[in-house]
Amino acid sequence: MNIDEIFDHTSFTIDREPHIVLDNQVCVGCDNRGCTNSCPAHCYTWSEADQKMTFVYDGCLECGTCYVVCHRNAFTLWRYPRGGYGVAYRMT
Amino acid sequence: MSKTFQAIVVGAGPAGSSAALTVARAGLDVALVERGSFPGEKNMFGGVLHRLPSLEEIFPDFWDRAPLERHIMKKGVTFMTGDSSFNTIIEAGNFDKPPYNGYTIFRPRFDNWLAQEAVKAGATLITSATVDELVYKNGKLAGVTLVGRQGELLAPVVIAADGVLSFIAKKAGLRQPTFDPGQMAVGVKALIDMPREMIDDRFGLVREQGFANEFVGCTAGVRGGGFLYTNYDSLSIGLVFHLASLRTSGKTPYDLLNEFMEQPQVAKMVRGGRLQEYSAHVIPEGGYNMIPELTGDGILVTGDAAALCNATGVNLEGINLASHSGVLAGKAVIEAHKANDFSKRGLETFRKLMNDSFVIKDLKTCRKAPHMLHNDRIYNEYPELVCSLMESIYRIEGMPKENMTKLFLKVAKKKVGLANLAADAFSAWRSL
Repeated sequence: MNIDEIFDHTSFTIDREPHIVLDNQVCVGCDNRGCTNSCPAHCYTWSEADQKMTFVYDGCLECGTCYVVCHRNAFTLWRYPRGGYGVAYRMT
Repeated sequence: MSKTFQAIVVGAGPAGSSAALTVARAGLDVALVERGSFPGEKNMFGGVLHRLPSLEEIFPDFWDRAPLERHIMKKGVTFMTGDSSFNTIIEAGNFDKPPYNGYTIFRPRFDNWLAQEAVKAGATLITSATVDELVYKNGKLAGVTLVGRQGELLAPVVIAADGVLSFIAKKAGLRQPTFDPGQMAVGVKALIDMPREMIDDRFGLVREQGFANEFVGCTAGVRGGGFLYTNYDSLSIGLVFHLASLRTSGKTPYDLLNEFMEQPQVAKMVRGGRLQEYSAHVIPEGGYNMIPELTGDGILVTGDAAALCNATGVNLEGINLASHSGVLAGKAVIEAHKANDFSKRGLETFRKLMNDSFVIKDLKTCRKAPHMLHNDRIYNEYPELVCSLMESIYRIEGMPKENMTKLFLKVAKKKVGLANLAADAFSAWRSL
């Protein structure tokens, strides 16, 4: 399984409005960045060259991992997508 | 939209639908609010559905009607290294006879069915509605606001069945404001399509028989384990990681899942299958010590929202605890309506029923298990010890044989250390 092909395996109804908003300035000073490896959907990417955290919510599985592992509370918003949006499992 | 009900249940998973069903059967007007476009759309688990005593009481024919997959008659544990595995398997005749001990299921199908049963009993199901805020009037909890489907629902009592992160319990001040990654795990799962005959032949199954297997030693040293379950014509295969351990490991769940599926013995099990769906979810694994306040003024907390999950390493239980807690919460709401008292004290019936139930009793009995499972040696050294010991026992190459005890101590000394072995045996014995 290639995680970059997550949209081939799992269905999503993507909302224009993000349900998670990250203040990535907080991530610059983070000593751990456990979100980058722990997120099962690879939504968080840290660029060492740019010293910048990129977060994409499109393929978010709404699992809750980042909410638990982020010890810097870098989220200005973390909630589930509006009703009807987000991941849509069919038969898991 | 602003509508008034006698109770609101947030989340149409096993806890929420069981609660709504109970309340509706008593003739109360209950709203069952679900953020998915249908119940089950957001739900995944890596598991087996076990007996549901409270639902069986409500529907004596529950197991004939629920949409199930295979019943588990064959259950195994595998101790695994990069290229070896040692299996223990129980095939019990009694597991092949009703009442069956457990079933594999698909959550989008099962959860939807259970929610529709609540609807048949009179509950109002509101889908595509994420609960956003709690509404307070005159200092009392009075309802919830919705996003997605917009509006407000009013009721004197709310049952939080909104899952492991329960923002409802947080907003009501009933759960800790932040989670301890040491008490949480994440499960990732691949659903693999496979023809039914191939599954039957490969795993030695006939009729409706199913196989459930747990794996230790397959997580590259990260605290956690693996699972493989057979559905009618697919396999559910995945890994579960303790988040405190995963976070600092630098390893990713999907790479580890790929490695797991490529391990030579596992590769043979999934060969010929096709990936259908990938899913993930956090699991509350802190046990008894993690349970939040179950009641507050106008509110009760159930299921994963109340961290009701029993992950001892041997059995993994969640849905059965969720459903039972939902039914008991429903009963407490019915009592509260009779007395017209929705205060914490008025809802105290729930706490009492829970304390007397298998849910709290089992979690109490196993309360030391989460701590024991934080021993890193379980996930690397012990599986290696088991595989290497068995390999030595079975190897015959024209050399004089060693005494079994000596052999064991030699391998144990090399892989684990004798002091560690003694300490771990003591801690395992104490926690079980």
